Amino acid sequence: MANRFMCETLGTACMGVSMALAAPAAFALPDILETPARATLLAPESLLNDATRAGERIIAVGERGHIIFSDDEGETWVQGAVPVALTLNSVDFGTEQHGWAVGHSGVVLHSSDGGENWTLQLNGIQASELAMESKEEQIAAMEEQIDQAPDDEKADLEWALDDLLFTLENMQADLDVGPVNPFLDVWFEDDSHGFVVGAYGMILRTQDGGETWQDWAPKLDNPQSFHLNSIGQVTGGGLVVVGEAGQIHVSVDGGDSWERRESPYTGSLFGVMGTGQVNEVIAFGLRGNTFRSTDLGRSWTVVPNEGGATLNNGVVADDGRITLVGNGGAVLMSTNGGESFRVHFRNDREGLMAVVPVSGTNLLLVGEGGVKFADARGRNPN
Amino acid sequence: MSNPMHDRGEHYLTTPKAEPFLERLIFNNRALILVGFLILTLFLGYNAVKIQPDASFERMIPLEHPFIVNMLEHRDDLDNLGNFVRIAVAVEDGDIFTAEYMETLKQITDEVFYLSGVDRSGLKSLWTSNVRWVEVTEQGFQGGTVIPDGYDGSRESLEALRQNVLRSPEVGRLISDNFRSTIVYAPLYEKNPETGEALDYGEFSRQLEEKIRDKYQAQNPEISIHVVGFAKKVGDLIEGIASIAWFAGITILLTTLLLFWYSRCIAGTLVPVFTSIVAVFLQLGTLRLLGYGLDPYSVLVPFLVFAIGISHGVQIVNAMAVEAAKGFDAVTAARLAFRALYIPGMLALISDAFGFLTLVFIEIDVIRDLAIAAGLGVAFVILTNLVLHVLIMSYIGISKGGVKHVQNHGEKQDRKWRVMSYFSHPGVAPISLLIAVIGLGLGLYYKQDLKVGDLDEGAPELRADSRYNLDNSYIINNYSTSADVLVVMVKTQEEQCTQYNVLRAMDRLQWELQNTPGVQSSASLADVSKMVTKALNEGSWKWFEISRNQTIINASIREAPAGLINTTCDLTPVLVFLEDHKAETLQTVVDRVEEFSNNYSNEEHTFLLAAGNAGIEAATNEVISNAKNLMLMLVYGVVSLLCFLTFRSIRAVACIVIPLGLTSILCEAIMAVSGIGIKVATLPVIALGVGIGVDYGIYIYSKLEKFLLEGKTLQDAYYETLRSTGKAVIFTGVTLGLGVVTWIFSPIKFQADMGFLLFFMFLWNMVGAIWLLPALARFLLRPDKMLAKARASK
Repeated sequence: MANRFMCETLGTACMGVSMALAAPAAFALPDILETPARATLLAPESLLNDATRAGERIIAVGERGHIIFSDDEGETWVQGAVPVALTLNSVDFGTEQHGWAVGHSGVVLHSSDGGENWTLQLNGIQASELAMESKEEQIAAMEEQIDQAPDDEKADLEWALDDLLFTLENMQADLDVGPVNPFLDVWFEDDSHGFVVGAYGMILRTQDGGETWQDWAPKLDNPQSFHLNSIGQVTGGGLVVVGEAGQIHVSVDGGDSWERRESPYTGSLFGVMGTGQVNEVIAFGLRGNTFRSTDLGRSWTVVPNEGGATLNNGVVADDGRITLVGNGGAVLMSTNGGESFRVHFRNDREGLMAVVPVSGTNLLLVGEGGVKFADARGRNPN
Repeated sequence: MSNPMHDRGEHYLTTPKAEPFLERLIFNNRALILVGFLILTLFLGYNAVKIQPDASFERMIPLEHPFIVNMLEHRDDLDNLGNFVRIAVAVEDGDIFTAEYMETLKQITDEVFYLSGVDRSGLKSLWTSNVRWVEVTEQGFQGGTVIPDGYDGSRESLEALRQNVLRSPEVGRLISDNFRSTIVYAPLYEKNPETGEALDYGEFSRQLEEKIRDKYQAQNPEISIHVVGFAKKVGDLIEGIASIAWFAGITILLTTLLLFWYSRCIAGTLVPVFTSIVAVFLQLGTLRLLGYGLDPYSVLVPFLVFAIGISHGVQIVNAMAVEAAKGFDAVTAARLAFRALYIPGMLALISDAFGFLTLVFIEIDVIRDLAIAAGLGVAFVILTNLVLHVLIMSYIGISKGGVKHVQNHGEKQDRKWRVMSYFSHPGVAPISLLIAVIGLGLGLYYKQDLKVGDLDEGAPELRADSRYNLDNSYIINNYSTSADVLVVMVKTQEEQCTQYNVLRAMDRLQWELQNTPGVQSSASLADVSKMVTKALNEGSWKWFEISRNQTIINASIREAPAGLINTTCDLTPVLVFLEDHKAETLQTVVDRVEEFSNNYSNEEHTFLLAAGNAGIEAATNEVISNAKNLMLMLVYGVVSLLCFLTFRSIRAVACIVIPLGLTSILCEAIMAVSGIGIKVATLPVIALGVGIGVDYGIYIYSKLEKFLLEGKTLQDAYYETLRSTGKAVIFTGVTLGLGVVTWIFSPIKFQADMGFLLFFMFLWNMVGAIWLLPALARFLLRPDKMLAKARASK
């Protein structure tokens, strides 16, 4: 693949590198949170964990702080200027200009120019502090509740309080190490309203484009702080979060309140998406387990999938075709709204993390080996 | 050669009294000296026969270079990384999933297991229990050996095998991308842990051939076997040394024929051959007594010694024939020949020896050994040639045929010399000089492309079409692997080699390097940690990162390959896989690492260069390019000084040395054009070529000066020079050329390169002396002034 690298558009990244190299004396490497992503031609061939569209533009994020964008359907790529050099996991654009990318060390990055320049909005320390604050509030509320509760209920409440205190301790221990936990997915409705979800039950909400964040974890029924892997919106407005241990959380009021749905599965769900029909959801995860609901998660049917490879992400094309991608080069395609899928394993068997429909019925795949093109079924295009 | 007393050499007689003394000493004790030689030859010859091939790895590398010092200091920590063989078992048709293939592979695996030298615990093949498939399930990991339980060769179990292979991480590593071959990976012990014996590379390589390749290719004609690895390469090199014996035979035969054609005397042919062989035995025997073996470089020295012995021996034969033609008996003829030749002969030989000894300044042991071996050889040639040879001939004498041949200075012969004397003609000399200047220009132009280091793919020591290199390219083409590895050693405090900051720094260095031209990929503990952290998180690529949590890092590297962490956990390597081992590639990568190391080494981690074959080559290249100019200066300095001391004239030095310089430059141009780099093998060529090549100039110039001082015009003086010594000089050039030309057919590439270049140097230096020296003399020498000066000093 031809790719082009423009130093001018990279401002800080280029300068950062040249300054580091010119430094005469030995000093410790700056933290990865303070290390700008290195300008490189290798980004389109390196691990990419997510890709999305912002208008006509395609934007992909991956390891070492790589954010690349393409204005020609993935033929050539330009690297954006990113202030951190850690693995990025997810990207979403609320508008053509405003986008957010999240990743390890609890980073949330924001771009207001369609993905060319990025600034750090939040890091893992701040995220942890937010989470601990709300945990402390929960604890205070719980203590109050225990005081006022009748004696026979006190024992149970004490147990719940112990759980909260234990979680808080863990958070403190993590924070002592540093910003250890990654965000795993991001979703934005427009240029101001969005959620980020991540490891150990992290979920934060913003209503002002990331200026301020609120810890939303207390709103979800996730007492064991399992990972939250994915967030998606379903036609009709419902929001769905899925995660470890088969968790499925649904919000029908734009994210204000969340309800945990009964899960058809106990393993990890890595992705969730709408099918394009009102209240129709597909959730998928470990070993290719795939489930479909037509009632916003109240009931689920198992979607047969003999492929058996873990599925990571999916997309609905304009023509209604659904494509899921996963480990081992798995590409699954459905033309009946997700009731059944045709499986194809690509020859290179490299893991796939996201898929974007491009010209005609072709697909742009990203994952372990960077950017790849495929026909509608996932085969190499002629 | 009409006047023996005024023959070649009287010019050097600064101490006339020494001559009768030495001559008396030798000729009055002829029998005693011969007996002494007999005893010495028997003793050293016995040792010479017992000398062993020795391709010691350490002698081929620059031990004093900081890279190598670092490498050897941490050698025990890095051992397992470097020394292994990979045996690819390939099917001709179809794929590996057949009962027959799997059976053969099983037998090969078992056979390799029992080879002496193999570290059995690290042996890997589809049939070993350490090769597993792994899958993440809701309950955690699920896995097993790649060979399914209850494997029976049935279609079902082969299908299960195929599934397991696809689920394993070994495709591209143990199993080729096209499923048509798999690898048996055998790490080796440098020293046998039970017996403490060092691995015998020659024997190990032979066993691989006999017990593995030959045996199983014969047993199952459907398969082919490809073996690569350092041990195999060294084994093949040792095997290559043995084939040198053939070249020795051919060289001796050709030289004998040539010598007979030259002398037309059986004694005059056999005695120089015999005494030269004696010199070789003396040299080899002494080497063994000094504790040396025959490495692929020093094995070539006997050829040089032999050729030098012959080419100087021919002077004795020539001189004796001339004396005999005047009617002297054998003893007197021998005495006169000795008297005439011992000083110029010694001078020429000593200048050869000095030329060789300049090589001692290159800090690579094989080159130093080569210098010592060649220096010793030349010292023995002085003895055998000027003493043994003369004494034997004093008993036998030159045959009548030989004498007649010398007397037969036919018209035809003289006409040839007459034509060649025009090289000094005022009309021809400018043309010659013009040609020389054009040659110089072309040489300088093409020489710009001269590279340092090895330029060919694969194992540069061996030929591109050698079995080893074919095997190597098979494996490179079918597996995700590179043959050129540079290892950066990351030194930390004890038990700190897995700290987050260390892994981060390695990761950062790796990414810098992967963004460096010529780097294919890299690997380190940081990669292992990221990969396993991902695996521990249900195989999700979103967890492909170095965790800040040390507990997670520790869990992630629990099963890291042994070579990546040393026992005290204060050293961990970064392996950098390169596209090739060209000098520029190595230099770029080394520069990048040094820059990074200067910027970011601190008390937590320092980055040390370098191990791996590419690290060694980078160090070697540095030593070679630093040594090259020093060596050239030394060898030209020594040669010029010797010439100046002899002829007491800067102009004489210019006449002799300028043709040598032209040859050196043309030689470098030829190297550039034919893709031969300056390396351990080719650097000595220039020293050898110049050191030996100066002999021609000394012979020609000394005659020329003598005839000029007799009052002859330049062209007449040159004509007489050619008549008296031209034939001997040409003969010398041809013999020396013959001595090395057979190397061109050596299976060892660098021997072939050396042979080719030395052949050129020897012949072209001879041409330079005969063609260019007189032309330079036309412009540089002032015969009238020389005469005046000579008269004044009388």
